Amino acid sequence: MMKAPQLALHGLAIKKHGSAAEVARITGLSEEAVETHLSAAVTSGRAMKSGEKYMLTPTAQIALKSAYSRDFADERADAAFQATYDDFERINEQLKSLITEWQTIEVGGQSMPNDHSDPDHDARIIDRLGDLHERAEPILDRLAAGLPRLSVWKDLLLTALEKAEDGDVEWVSDAKCMSYHTAWFEMHEDLIRVLGRERLE
Amino acid sequence: MTRWTLKLDGSHLPEKTLIGGKGWSVARMAALGLTVPPAFVITTEACTAYRGSKDYPEGLEAEIADGIAWLEQQTGRTYGRGPSPLLVSVRSGAAISMPGMMDTVLNMGITPDTETALAEECGDPVFARDTHRRFHELYAHIVLKTEAGEFSNDETAQDWAARIETASGRTLPADPADRLHAAVRAVFDSWDSRRAKRYRKHHDIPDDLGTAVVVQAMVFGNMGGTSGTGVMFSRNPIDGEPTVYGEFLANAQGEDVVSGKFTPQRLDTMLDALPEAHDALLRAARMLEIENRDVQDIEFTVQNGTLYLLQARAAKRAPEAALKIICDMLDEGTIDEKTALSRITPDQVRSLLAPRLPEGASARAKQLARGEAASPGIGIGTVVTDSDEAERRAKNGEAVILARATTSPDDLHGMIAALAVVTERGGSTSHAAVVSRALGVPCVTGCGEGSVTALAGRKVTVDGSGGLIFDGELPVQEPDETALSGLVRLTRIAERLSPVKVILPEDALGGALDLNRVEGGSEIENLPRLLTGIDIAGGGALADDKGIAAGLRAGLKTIVGRPRLPILLAAIRGARPSEDRDTVAVSATE
Repeated sequence: MMKAPQLALHGLAIKKHGSAAEVARITGLSEEAVETHLSAAVTSGRAMKSGEKYMLTPTAQIALKSAYSRDFADERADAAFQATYDDFERINEQLKSLITEWQTIEVGGQSMPNDHSDPDHDARIIDRLGDLHERAEPILDRLAAGLPRLSVWKDLLLTALEKAEDGDVEWVSDAKCMSYHTAWFEMHEDLIRVLGRERLE
Repeated sequence: MTRWTLKLDGSHLPEKTLIGGKGWSVARMAALGLTVPPAFVITTEACTAYRGSKDYPEGLEAEIADGIAWLEQQTGRTYGRGPSPLLVSVRSGAAISMPGMMDTVLNMGITPDTETALAEECGDPVFARDTHRRFHELYAHIVLKTEAGEFSNDETAQDWAARIETASGRTLPADPADRLHAAVRAVFDSWDSRRAKRYRKHHDIPDDLGTAVVVQAMVFGNMGGTSGTGVMFSRNPIDGEPTVYGEFLANAQGEDVVSGKFTPQRLDTMLDALPEAHDALLRAARMLEIENRDVQDIEFTVQNGTLYLLQARAAKRAPEAALKIICDMLDEGTIDEKTALSRITPDQVRSLLAPRLPEGASARAKQLARGEAASPGIGIGTVVTDSDEAERRAKNGEAVILARATTSPDDLHGMIAALAVVTERGGSTSHAAVVSRALGVPCVTGCGEGSVTALAGRKVTVDGSGGLIFDGELPVQEPDETALSGLVRLTRIAERLSPVKVILPEDALGGALDLNRVEGGSEIENLPRLLTGIDIAGGGALADDKGIAAGLRAGLKTIVGRPRLPILLAAIRGARPSEDRDTVAVSATE
């Protein structure tokens, strides 16, 4: 079980460069708590702050990673959790292809960027993203059964999905907001760190 | 007279509210005299009755059996048994398409027995096996919405069914008739899914319209030398030339084309083996293009010499093709000027005007690496292999190219700072590719182990459209909107139809508000406030299509910018909220 100060650092490692509010949102900690823990980390030289945003120092990143095997010993020893992660990996592959389809369209066998000029095309892909989300939900529930704080991801994903469904198409894959793809990717990063797995590509 | 179902034989064209958009498209093509695989539809009224009682209305089960019997008679095949098994697809279709509705289930009717019959009939046991496995995957994914993992052809149908039951907690009926009913019920239930309900609420669509269900015979392109499958465009979608363009794969199913297992041949290879089907296809393409006044993208299958049209819709096209087709169709008198402008987007015009390498330049340049063309555009700069360094050097005004073995979320800041991203591993779905496209940064992926990180410190030119990395700084050409005759023509039309004037910065004579120099001028939400009492402005949020629409609403009369045509097009689109363009082209003339 990871303690709150360490969890704040873990959240910052996933965010890489983020504000207390952003770290709070993905860890389930309160913003005040994150602010306290990250300020303490700045004082002790484990993090840096510029403007609103924090960043881990390189040594703190290494220290955090090397402590994972202890922090997440329970999850790593949990066969059901590991098997659920394998299910997640399968659906992760589908998500990646779907995002690629979102970003590129086929024109006479050649692929080119989707300029989002065809609302029907976009709506079909968002619809398929909704299908994928429905298949992912039971898997996310199983992951959260093993590590309850992971349930925040399901909420962040649903929020992004509903914004996209309402016509804000940047919520599908925009890299600069908590889009579906951003949330998914950060969740993947979280799981990889928890289980000590490797990212495939 | 039937109460709950209708045969889509083209003899009449029922209302979309009764048979749904997909059913209507099938009926419309049949009514035009085109050959489509036989289909019947379970109407929206059946759905409404089902929603009331959560059960089939009286008589529906018998009518579905009659519908299947009619498909059997039309195709000369039999549902659920051999020697020529009938397989059907089941798809949802409301009058208005909406999210959350059940997706298509294919290969309904396949069982261990019909798999054997199909294998004998097409002489391809692997195909029959694939068809059987695919049905189980689709049933799990689509009807039961569960992730049961990948199924293997080495498993038995009982293994697949058992895995579906473990993953979903529900059983797969053994009888193909029961499976069909389960899929129909799943379509009806999907009308009340979270997404569908939410969409209807958001768009003020009544909850009681209901969805129809189309049950259509499947046709097979792999029945021997006089069968095949392909895609045809009524004009070339890449360069816009007014000649048919397409691909054909003899003795194959549609999935074979998609899977990349086989290389499709040019369309004219059909001429030798299937001259009549080829002829019929050309006639259908011409007819659909004239009916719909736009280039058609047609999916087809030839089964034992008979051409079946599976789908026809307005073709997606490359920017070059969009321009050429507009000019040709204006010359032919096929489309009017207003339609012409709606057939090209501001971004397509921008991409026609995007910087590029001059013709022949790449042949003379020294190529350093080659990979997958993952995100288009040209980026020139010094290769940096660390994202923190890329960010730091870019902040100092240096042009940098980020080269990584592979990227992860840790590299986002470096990717934002870089003028191009190149990687050694991964394809067009890798993190680097996905994020670069989202950022609009040129990207080449999968250049090979050690290939691009070894270029650290060198100045290179990255061609994201060609997937190439060249040594040094190559000259870049920027096309001029006043030098391309098609664009000049469209600009003249757009000037007449645009609600605002668009002028070049050098013509503004200092009287314009430059939003780049105004605090908050790049935020769209500030435009109403900043533009109060202003007639002429440019820059900032007005560089974006949504910003242009907001500027119009704020009462702007003249926009300053370059190039002018994309701004004119965005203003025209912004002034009339874009109508939902029906991509099922057959219904576009409604």
